[in-house]
Amino acid sequence: MRSWSRLRSWLRAALRRSRMERDMDAELRLHIEAFAEDLVHSGVPREEAWRRARIEFGGLERAKEECRDALALRLVDHVARDLRFGLRLLIKNPGFTTAAVIALALGIGADTAMYSIVNGALSWDFGLENRDRIVMVNSVDRGRSQEWGASYPDFRDFRTQVKSLAGLAAYQLTAVNLSDHSALPERYYCVQMSANGFSVVQQKPMLGRDFIAEDERPGAPAVIILAYHVWRDRYAQDPAILGKTVRVDEVPRVVISVMPPGRRFPEDTDLWVPLVPDATLERRNARGLMLFGRLRDRMSLESARLEFRALAERLAVQYPDANKDITAEVRPIVEISGLYYIKPLFFALFGAVGFVLLIACADVANMLLARAGERAREVSIRVAIGAGRVPIIRQLLLESVVLSIAGGFLGWLVAVGGLRWFDRGMGSTAKPLWLHLSLDRNALIYLAAISVGTGILFGLAPALRLAKTDVNAALKDGGSGMSGSKFGLRLSSLLVTFQMALCVVLLAGAGLMIRSAVKLYSAPIGVNISQVLTMRIHLPEKKYAPPESWRAFHENLQKRLSALPGVASASVASQLPFGGWTTLSFELEGRKNDEVQLPETGGLVVGNNYFQTMQVQPQHGRVFTDSDGLAGTPIVVVNQSFAEKYWPGEEPLGKRLRVKEEQILGPWLTVVGVVPDILQNFRHHLQHDPLIYLPFAEQPARRVFLIARTQVPPTTLANAFRSEVQRLDENLALDDVRSLEERVAESRLTVSLFGAICTVFAGVATVLAAIGLYAVNAHAVSQRTREIGLHMAMGASRSDVARLVFGQGIRPLAPGVAIGLLLALGVTRLLRVVLVGVSPSDPLTFVGIVLVLTIAAALGCAVPARRAMKVDPMVALRYE
Amino acid sequence: MDKKQMELLQGTLDMLILKAVSLGPLHGYGILLRIQQISKDRLEIQQGSLYPALYRLEHQGWISSEWGESENKRKAKYYRLTAAGRRKLQTEAEKWNRMADVIAGILQSTPEEV
Repeated sequence: MRSWSRLRSWLRAALRRSRMERDMDAELRLHIEAFAEDLVHSGVPREEAWRRARIEFGGLERAKEECRDALALRLVDHVARDLRFGLRLLIKNPGFTTAAVIALALGIGADTAMYSIVNGALSWDFGLENRDRIVMVNSVDRGRSQEWGASYPDFRDFRTQVKSLAGLAAYQLTAVNLSDHSALPERYYCVQMSANGFSVVQQKPMLGRDFIAEDERPGAPAVIILAYHVWRDRYAQDPAILGKTVRVDEVPRVVISVMPPGRRFPEDTDLWVPLVPDATLERRNARGLMLFGRLRDRMSLESARLEFRALAERLAVQYPDANKDITAEVRPIVEISGLYYIKPLFFALFGAVGFVLLIACADVANMLLARAGERAREVSIRVAIGAGRVPIIRQLLLESVVLSIAGGFLGWLVAVGGLRWFDRGMGSTAKPLWLHLSLDRNALIYLAAISVGTGILFGLAPALRLAKTDVNAALKDGGSGMSGSKFGLRLSSLLVTFQMALCVVLLAGAGLMIRSAVKLYSAPIGVNISQVLTMRIHLPEKKYAPPESWRAFHENLQKRLSALPGVASASVASQLPFGGWTTLSFELEGRKNDEVQLPETGGLVVGNNYFQTMQVQPQHGRVFTDSDGLAGTPIVVVNQSFAEKYWPGEEPLGKRLRVKEEQILGPWLTVVGVVPDILQNFRHHLQHDPLIYLPFAEQPARRVFLIARTQVPPTTLANAFRSEVQRLDENLALDDVRSLEERVAESRLTVSLFGAICTVFAGVATVLAAIGLYAVNAHAVSQRTREIGLHMAMGASRSDVARLVFGQGIRPLAPGVAIGLLLALGVTRLLRVVLVGVSPSDPLTFVGIVLVLTIAAALGCAVPARRAMKVDPMVALRYE
Repeated sequence: MDKKQMELLQGTLDMLILKAVSLGPLHGYGILLRIQQISKDRLEIQQGSLYPALYRLEHQGWISSEWGESENKRKAKYYRLTAAGRRKLQTEAEKWNRMADVIAGILQSTPEEV
């Protein structure tokens, strides 16, 4: 409490300094005056009285100084004086100041921007207030070590028996067409969730009511809950929407409520409907549901884990057919999100910017060390006339903090600009909710902290060194007085070694990313991606029940689309390039197959003119044609990888295979053609996988992509496509309308964006490290002008001198690179998630970065070496 | 003023100031007069050292000040004792008395007692 009142009194005095000074002066004068008056009253003549009063009081200024001391104001005065002095010095050395401030701004700015992203991501709450208590429950097949969701019957059993959770809910994610008369039909994510879902995560709608148990009974009136953004964007925040009926995949549903802003759990969904069990869901081996629950108070994750294992055990005994070998796994919600998997990347990036900042600090420290020689005399004089070490260190540290704060202000601009650049780099890609591309309060606090912190970090070594200056030597030889000169140089080259090592790590990261990007961008996709328009379409089950209706719809639509001006051809496909496939079990004719476990392959369903539209020529045989359809023998097209894997050295044409779906074997399909590989894997972008193509006419699907080769810029046709679809069915939404080029660019975004960031960091780091080396060498040369002159006078040639300087300057490179390579080998492992077709210890990359760094270092040494060559021995020796 | 005056012991000025203002708010010169009056002019106080002591005591929260009007209608800064100051005065006085007792006891001891 006392320290508080002291602080208050200090602040009052410090902040209202002039008033405090005036008051103090008035008070002291009043005292003298009163004393003199009293003396006059006791008979002393007026003049004599004043004289005596002043003498008795003693020195007025001294009393004032002591009063200020009593208020601890002296420190303020000194700091203010030191600051003024420091600023004057910085202004007097614009070259040094500019270089240092820019280096610091780059380091601090990049660090702050990255902090803002990482902090935003790691503290992202999933739109939950209690994210640390929410857990996910999965089924694990011990036999095949595969992980699934849960089935509805399992969920029901878990829900009634579980004790460690305060509630357990189930959901599955779907995409739906939402249509009504307020706007064009749109496609949204919709979560089918058990009615207790919101109460499990302890959320309530802001308008209307929560789901009730009645809503999930079969046959109950269909209802729907809207996310805030849907209500805002589609319904203009009209509260009268409650009670209105909308069509969701052709099912009329009554809107019962709107969730508050930011509440989109689970899956960042747009809509929620009750999960109503039907015949498909009631199958105990249909494990398509995701389960989430809230840990009961004082219950640990471990206790929930044990309980679920026991519950699953019991079900395995009870229902051996479906649940044999099935156990349950409980995980915190954070481990389920995609964020969890890219966390190592965040740390890698955060580490990278940290390295950049450290390199910048080492640079400035080196510049300060170089200047220390020039300042030694000034410091010596101050020490000689009685200044203490502490005030000197304080003053020097203040100077470096002033420098770093200036760097921090500029760094703020760098951070804002960097985030903008990142934002632009992401283009039109939907940004995840956890991505914050603006500086919030935390980021600003962080910025302030590292600004001051770096100032102390890089200022400490030079300040301590200066404070140790040998006063006698400095004053005597009139020069630098660098008694610790050797020590200073050693410290400098240690800092440079350190910079080199960090630089190697950054270059390694950037090099690997660049190699990935090159591999990725140079790999042929297998289709011509320019001028292709793509979009998603989904025929709702309610209106389009029989598969014939799907085929009919798409035949009709394709005719209309192909007739549009600007469209060369149109088709459909179940997946687009880089978009994955459907996993199918199949058997080959004439092969002995394991009856229980058939081999699996990727399969795509494509329209008859898919290959023409994508401009793919068959390698053997033919592709589908318009005449392929229900009539005639069922056919299939396979890709090169499939043919090579299953019929190596054989003629694939005419071979037969059949697909097993939901325990039912399909008809034999005859291979009529082999097409070249098309990159289809959405995780490993360079991988060629064995794939089979089934004709849409034989295997129609409800959800497909429309594809059209256009003669005009593809996206200009979006509206024409939309109106053609609406002419066929006014309630149908087209979703995700984009050119194929844009999609491919987006699938490569991680590599290109991440690569660009790494490259920028590494580039900045390399430049900074080269500048560091330059600063140290330039300083060494200027220090040794006399020595160099002497060498030359003794007969050394200019190239001898250059070699000497260069040789000594480049010395920190080798240990720096060695340490850096060791570090890099450890660190690049973190990048594994994003590397494409490159190993984290790719030898070519490592050779390349050593080369780059050597060149940069050579440049940093060459400039001072050239200067050393130009030294005139006569001038150098006379220079004293 | 020709009476014999004693120099103040180190550290006792603070206590005397606290005592002086404990009897009512006073301005700086008033405090000086009050101490001289109570001590019957037997103590010599450096006038210049009075104010740093006042600032220090106020800084530590034992006295507080406000501007008011003096007896002869002049603006003057008045000091008063705070609650914390009152406690401080009490403990200081007790410490002083104990110390004085001990010292007196030592000085009064006779050779036989040692």
